[in-house]
Order: sequence, then structure tokens, then C-alpha cells
Amino acid sequence: MLKRRVGITTKTTAIIVAAIILVVAGGTSAYYLTLPTKPPPGGTVKVGFSISLTGNFNVEGAASLNGMKTATQWLNSNGGIIVNGKSYNITLDYTDDASQTSNIVPLYTKLVQQDNAQFLLAPYSSGLTAAAAPIAEQFGTIMLSHGGSADSIWKQGYKNVFEVLSPASTYLRVAIDWLKANHPSDKLAVIYAGDSFSTTAALAAINYSKAQGFQVVYQSSYPTTVNDVTPQLTAAKSAGADDLLGGGHFNDGLLLAKQLAQVGWTPKFISLLVAVTEPTFQQQLGTAANLVTGPSQWEHTVAYTSDQAKSLGLDWFGPTVAQFTQLYQQVSGGKTPTYHSGEAAGTIFVLAKAIQSANSFDTTSVKQVLSSLNFMSFFGQFQVDQTGKQTAHSMVLVQWQNGVLKVVYPTTVAETQPQYPYGA
Amino acid sequence: MVALAVILSDLLFGIMLGCVFAVVAHGLNLIWGVVKVVNIAHGEFIMLGAYGAYFLNVFGGFNPLLSAVVDGALGIFVGYAFYFSFLHRELRGKERITQRSEMVTLVSTFGLSLFMSNLAVVAFTGDFVGINWSPGTVALGFLELPLGALYVTILAVLIISTSVVFLDRTYIGNAIKAYSQDITATQLVGANPTKVASLATALGFSITMAGGALLTVWIPTGINPYMGALYAPISFVIVVLGGPGKMLGSLLGGLTLGVVIDVLQAFVPVSLAYAVAFLLLIPVLLFRPEGIVK
Amino acid sequence: MRIAGLGVTFFGLLALMLLLLILPFAFPFSTSVIVINLLFYTALAYSINFITGMTGYVSFGHVVFLGIGAYALGASADVYGLDPVLGVLLGAALGLVFALMIGLVTLRFRGVYFAISTVVIALAALNIVLELPQLGGSQGIILNLGFQPYSWYYTIWGIVLFEMLITYYINRGKLGLGIRAIKSDEDAARSVGVNVSALKLYLFGLSGLFAGAGGAVFAWTTSGVFPYETFSLNFSLQMLAMIIIGGVGTALGPILGAVVVYLPSYYFLTVAIGTQLIIIGFAVVVIALFIPEGIVGTLKRRSASLRELLE
Repeated sequence: MLKRRVGITTKTTAIIVAAIILVVAGGTSAYYLTLPTKPPPGGTVKVGFSISLTGNFNVEGAASLNGMKTATQWLNSNGGIIVNGKSYNITLDYTDDASQTSNIVPLYTKLVQQDNAQFLLAPYSSGLTAAAAPIAEQFGTIMLSHGGSADSIWKQGYKNVFEVLSPASTYLRVAIDWLKANHPSDKLAVIYAGDSFSTTAALAAINYSKAQGFQVVYQSSYPTTVNDVTPQLTAAKSAGADDLLGGGHFNDGLLLAKQLAQVGWTPKFISLLVAVTEPTFQQQLGTAANLVTGPSQWEHTVAYTSDQAKSLGLDWFGPTVAQFTQLYQQVSGGKTPTYHSGEAAGTIFVLAKAIQSANSFDTTSVKQVLSSLNFMSFFGQFQVDQTGKQTAHSMVLVQWQNGVLKVVYPTTVAETQPQYPYGA
Repeated sequence: MVALAVILSDLLFGIMLGCVFAVVAHGLNLIWGVVKVVNIAHGEFIMLGAYGAYFLNVFGGFNPLLSAVVDGALGIFVGYAFYFSFLHRELRGKERITQRSEMVTLVSTFGLSLFMSNLAVVAFTGDFVGINWSPGTVALGFLELPLGALYVTILAVLIISTSVVFLDRTYIGNAIKAYSQDITATQLVGANPTKVASLATALGFSITMAGGALLTVWIPTGINPYMGALYAPISFVIVVLGGPGKMLGSLLGGLTLGVVIDVLQAFVPVSLAYAVAFLLLIPVLLFRPEGIVK
Repeated sequence: MRIAGLGVTFFGLLALMLLLLILPFAFPFSTSVIVINLLFYTALAYSINFITGMTGYVSFGHVVFLGIGAYALGASADVYGLDPVLGVLLGAALGLVFALMIGLVTLRFRGVYFAISTVVIALAALNIVLELPQLGGSQGIILNLGFQPYSWYYTIWGIVLFEMLITYYINRGKLGLGIRAIKSDEDAARSVGVNVSALKLYLFGLSGLFAGAGGAVFAWTTSGVFPYETFSLNFSLQMLAMIIIGGVGTALGPILGAVVVYLPSYYFLTVAIGTQLIIIGFAVVVIALFIPEGIVGTLKRRSASLRELLE
């Protein structure tokens, strides 16, 4: 009896102690973790975002971050953003998101609530952008997208989300446009990776090419975990296809180009998503890369100039393409900017230009400017429709020619003519 | 309407793919059949073999076939290390593996798989890499077959048939077979059970890592830290299809899977072909738990 | 279930849950959303604990139920504009149904055969969803259900509370006796008259139900469902690691494991990038080989006073 009473008292004490420890530990850690960081010092504007430094998108994420850093450094050392005659510097506030959608909600809520970021940039990829958009919407903070190209993001009625890059559905158009002008009777095969971005791009290409009068004799997608596309290439060849369009991310482009040799098919024209713009594409493939084309959001050799902007009646804002590329090499330790760097950096200039034109940091005024803004930077043209979707930025077609990646189409920004057929 | 030529080509490519799958799964089959342990980290050792071939190519100019030999030798050491750190405690002095030991090895090799694949991301980066080795193609009527894949097919068949001969015709082989049937019987033929089990594990790892090297010929760009996540399940299915411990079962299971995946693609989307291939495991387990052929 | 039999662990967990009940009002959203994620992982850990923790059947492909729940909410909200709370219920229902169907077949397989059959089912499910245009195919579904921290929070809180109570109910009650018999020796349990097949199916169904509910919350909070992300085997591996580290089959183990695994991996995003899964993998190896009972089990074994307090 006595023993039992002691047991109960011990238990009660243990419960109380445990509860007190829990409350104190929980309370203190929550207090420290949610402590708002100091407001930014006068004369700066804080831009918050998460970026994929690990996980699936680590390569794209690293290139994007370097692009943003380059753009910020250029702006800050060239007078900053001018509002009411006063100059403001940009500070970047970012963390890794491990390429996982589940991290986005905590990270973006923290950016807005704790870090007091005045403007947001979206994370890389459509899935992560979709997870971040409701937060931008809830807190009425402007968010610019540099790597989320799925068209359906802009069908959700968001008022604070603006796209700086061309949507996924437009990627392969530029190749089809060139074919239409030069080889309109080619039969097409479209083979693409079964991920969100590649599927959107490829299905849009199939519709567009049919509308342009092309015959698509073979189409197929494959899961991205698969490392073997010989059955599809064989089928496309035997269906009598002349040209091959499609691909996916870097690995997919390389896979298609390499396995073409295995099945003994030499298409006349090849245009592959993403992979082609990477220098390692050519290093890994050697001669097989020669005359492969691909769409690109931007290249450091593309010829956007202030003269071109002037001829279109547009403002020019920010550095020239050469200035940007040079500074990027300093910032990144000798790397050449990829299009991911370009689109991320372009986003910073869009934001700076919009704030400067609004002459205010107020979200409503900046939003108003963004929805009607039409200008050109080193990244190309910017203009969005009423949903926030990009309409003016155009893709370019690039081609490997004797070991050099050249911008070949559209003619206005091209360095040289495309060469046809592949394998010649 | 699918052209006959396409189906024929898919069939040939499927047979070649099946042989590569078979050799990749063969090491798992040996260990599973003899030591009765399933190595969940099997895919990570395939990955290790593939990276071995990649680095030997980059730094030594080795082609994947040569690298397979080096990988195979390395695999012996890796296998012994694995046996004594993961299996020995559970198997030592036991007449048959207990349910509890089975769980311990399952969970510990699962941890090993997490550890290895994520360490590989840090060590090798997450980029996909591949080996530039292409000995050309050979024309076969209206078809062109890649010579590299053909060599790998021949080697795969060679490795598997050698292991059959080894188990049937040599003293050590017989001891391994005896162990797989009854651990106490091993002692009756005068062999030390630990020596036999560790040797079988080492051989299994040797074949697994060599298989990883041979696989690189078939997947021109697919070497990456997470590649095990595809080839481990494929290996599991192959071993179940063929029946754990049946050496020719690897070949049978591999060919079934390779042909199903490639030929089905002529009729249904690629994803569904893979889904069917994976799900083949269920009816086989239900109706033929000893493998397709008795 | 006698109230007198409830110990410190029960009241401790109850106190914790009550504290968590008021947390969203005491702290800003930025805290609540971290706790939402923590509770999401806790829910997954309790879910897999029902089958793997209690019976020893390792479900490597448990993510398949999470995926089914996520798609249930995603498709119903996207196509029919269903309220997300109903979507969570639908996710739970479909998780249950699929678990019963899959379990009816796969629970016949023992040990590694069960483990492997769950992996191939998860992989096959991903490959099938990729070809279902009704579910968005490879493009997935993008949702706009808004930023709803309170609804997210209390939904996932409720799921976790349910799981804790049911875990207690099973462990303490008559069911627990039979289940522990299965875990130690299935054939022996069958021979003394335990209805082994029904018990296993019951537990698998429960685990599918809660994984489905958790998956629906995942789709709701991340405003979208994407095949590769949703069916990522990483989720299976994380759930499993959580209960192995925390202590399989216990009532305290899953939440402890979730805290130990999730919170560091969130804060590591800024510090030790990319190392958390290496550490978790290493921890699982060490625990499996040397202390298979996990944190809770080991504490109980080491200390007589804790043996009574921890469950």
C-alpha cells in the first residue's frame, strides 16, 4: 500500500517535471527560432528566396544562384536602385531547399514573417514554385519566377506571381519555326522524358508542329528513371521519321544522342531540350554532338543589344551581355553562365527596373508597373499578360558547330545560319 | 499496326538487355541462395562498380570490359568486409538463419543503402556521367546491333555459366552448395561454415561489381548515385523469377524481364512496360515461389 | 482498457499534444508551419509503425499509400473542387481500401518476400500514374488551395492524435497480445489460435489509412501533386528510419524518431548541406546491428525505472 503511494507520487512528479521541461525547452527554442531578424539597414531592399543547392536540382540551382549574385553585384556597384532620388542596394536572403516541395512552405513563411523580405523570388522548378505561390499570395508579397515554367501555374489566378522566363510550352517552337521555313515536308519523331517540364514542352511541340502542317510519325515518352531508349529510337526510325525532337533534362539529351548511334539512325535534324546548351554535352559526345540543335532561354553569345531595344521602341536596363558574362565569371570562380544563370539574373533586373519605374517599394505600385512593363535587358524582352505569364521573352535556337555552341535562330539575334542535315 | 521489324529489333535488344540484367542480379542470387540473406544495398554496390568503371576509364583509359575484371577483384575484398561487418554476427554458429537475423540484415543493409547512395552524392556529385566507349555496330540483315552490348551479352552468359560449372565441378563449389542446403552438412564434407559463407558472399559481390561495370556499356549516361534505386528492384524481381540459388535462374529471370520490357514497348507506353515487369513478381510469388521453372 | 493502467508516457504524450493544440495561437505562422511538417512526418512514422513496428513486416513501399492519399486530394480538389478536409478523408478511405487489397495478396509473403513485393508495387504505382492523364500524367496536378496554416495544422494534429490513441489501444489491449505473438513467432501464434491473417490485414489497413491521410495533407500543404516527388521511395525510407531510430512498435518511438530525424534535416538546410541522409543511414546501420530496439527500447533495457515509464 505504502509502496504503491510512493509509486504514484514518483509518477506524478515525473509527469510534472517532464511537462515543465517540455514547456520550457519548447518555448525557448520556439522563441529563438522565430525571433525576427533585424530590419535591413536603411538604403537596402531585401529579396528572399530558397534555392536548390542539394537534391535533384542542385546543378540548376547553383547556376541560378550565381546568376542572382552577379546581377545583384552589378546593380549595387552601378548606382543601385533609385527611388525618390535615393540609392538602395539589394541584399539577397536565401537558404537551400534540398529540391523538396515539403521544405518550401516553412522556408517561404520564414522569409516573409521572420526575415521581413520585401520581395520574393520563386524557387527552381515548377513543383517548388507551385508550393511557394500561395504564400506570396497570402502575404501580398511579389514573387518573380525564374525556373518554374509549367503553364498551369498561371491558370491559378495568382495576383502576385510573375514569370520572367518563357513558359515550357514554347521551348521547341523555335526549332519548328525554322523547319517550317526551310524543310516543311520533314516527318517528325518526338521522344521525351516523362517529367512535368519535358512533357509540357513536347506535347505543345506536337500540337504546334501539326498546326504548322508537319506530320508527327512517332511520339513516345519514357520514365526518367529509365536509361535505355533504344526501343523508341528503333520505332521512330522504322516509322520513317526524318527529324528527332524532344529530350528532357541533361541526362536525357545525352542518352538520346548517344543511343542514336547504337541503333544506327541518323536523323536529318535533331533538337533536344536543355542538354544541348551545356558545354559538357559536347565534351561527352564529341563529334556526335556536331549539328545537334536545342532551344535556349538565353546564351552568353546571344545578341540582345540596346540598339535592338531602341529599334523596338523599348527601354534597355542593366549590363550588356558581355558585361554580365564577364562579371559572372568573377563571381562564380571562372564559370560560363548557362541559361539558368541568365533567367535568374534577368529576374533581379526585372525587379529592379519595376521598383525604379514605380519609384516606390510599395507592393501595389510595383505590381501595377510589372503588369504593364515592357523592356529589354541582357536576358531579352519582358512583358507579361494579365495572369502574370510571360509573353514577350523569346527562346533562341542554338547549334553545336565544330565544337562551338552558336545561336542560329531567330535571325535577328543569330550569330550564324543553322547547318542541315545532321551527320553531314 | 506495329512493324514486324520493330518487334524483332526489340526482341534482340531485349535479349541483350536481359543478359546484362542477369549478370547484375547474379551476385544477389548467389548470396540470397547460399547465405539466405537479401542485401537491400545491392543496388549501391552496382553503383560502386559502375563508378569504378567510370573512374578507371577517366584516369586509366580502361574500357568497361577491362574495368569489370578490376571491379570483380575489388568486389572480393568488399564482399569479405561486408560479410564480417554485417552478416557474421548473425550467422556465426547457427544451423539456419532465424527470423530475427533476417530482419536485422534487412534493416541494416537498408541503412547501408541510404548511407552509401548519399555519401556518393557528396563524393561523386549528383551529376549523371557516362563512359565514352563505343566499338561500333555490326549489321545483321536490316538491323544494326551495337558491338559493345554484344560483347557484354557474351561476357554475361560466360560469367553465369562459369559459376554453374564452378559450383558443380569444384570442391569449394560443392561446399558452397552444401552450405546452401544445410549448414551442418558443410561440416560433414569437412569445410568451415564461416569460410564457405564468406567466400560465397565475396564471390557474389565480385559478380555484382563486375556487373555494375558491364552495365555502363548499356547505359551511356546513367551512372549516378541513385542508380541503385532502379537496378536493385530489377535484381530482386529477376532472382524471384528465376528462383533464389538457381544459378541459371538469373539468366532465365533476366531474359524474361529484358524481353518483356523491350517487346511490350512496341505496344504500350514505356512506363506501363516497366510496371508490368515489376508486377510479374507478385503472381510468381503467389503461384511459383520456387521460381518460374521447378 | 483500464485508466489506471495508463502510465507516464500516455500522459506525457497527451500533455504534449495539448500544448501543441495552442501552439498556433502562441507563435507566428513561421513556427506553425515547421510543426506541421514535423507532425506530417510523425503521422507517417506512426502509420508504418502499425505494420512494420508491430508485426516486423518491413513495408519498404509504404509511400504507395501516401501517394494514393495525395492523388485523392489532388484530383478531387482539382476536378470536383472538393473541400480539402473531405479530400483528406477520401485519401484515408482510399489508403485503407488499397491497403486491404494489396495486403490481401502481399501479407501472404514472409520476411524479405513481403518487403520486396511492397517495393515493386510502389515502383509500379509510379509508372502507372505517369500514364494516367486523368491524374495529370507526368505533369502532375497544380492546386491552389491557398495558405491555410490553421486548417493544415489541426488536420494533421488530429491525425497524429488518432494514431497515438489507436497505438495505445492496440498495445495495451487484447489485440496487442496476439500481435506480439505474431512478431516473435508467426507459426507458433497461429498454432495457439491467433487469427494471424486477420490481425495482419487489420494492421496493414490501419497503416494504409493513416499514410493516405498524411499523403493528402502533403498534397494540400504543397499545393500540388507530382508523380516522382509523391512516390519518391525516400518517403518510405525516412518513415522506416524514424521508427527504427525511435524504437519499433512502441508508442513513443515514432514521434521521437520523427523529431530526431526531421528537425535536424530542416535546420541542416542552412548548415551541413547534404549530410543528413548519410548520418541517418549510418545511424540505422548502427542501431540495426547493435541496438535493434531503438532509442526507446534501449532506454527501457538499460534502466529499471525507465522500463516502467516508457512505452
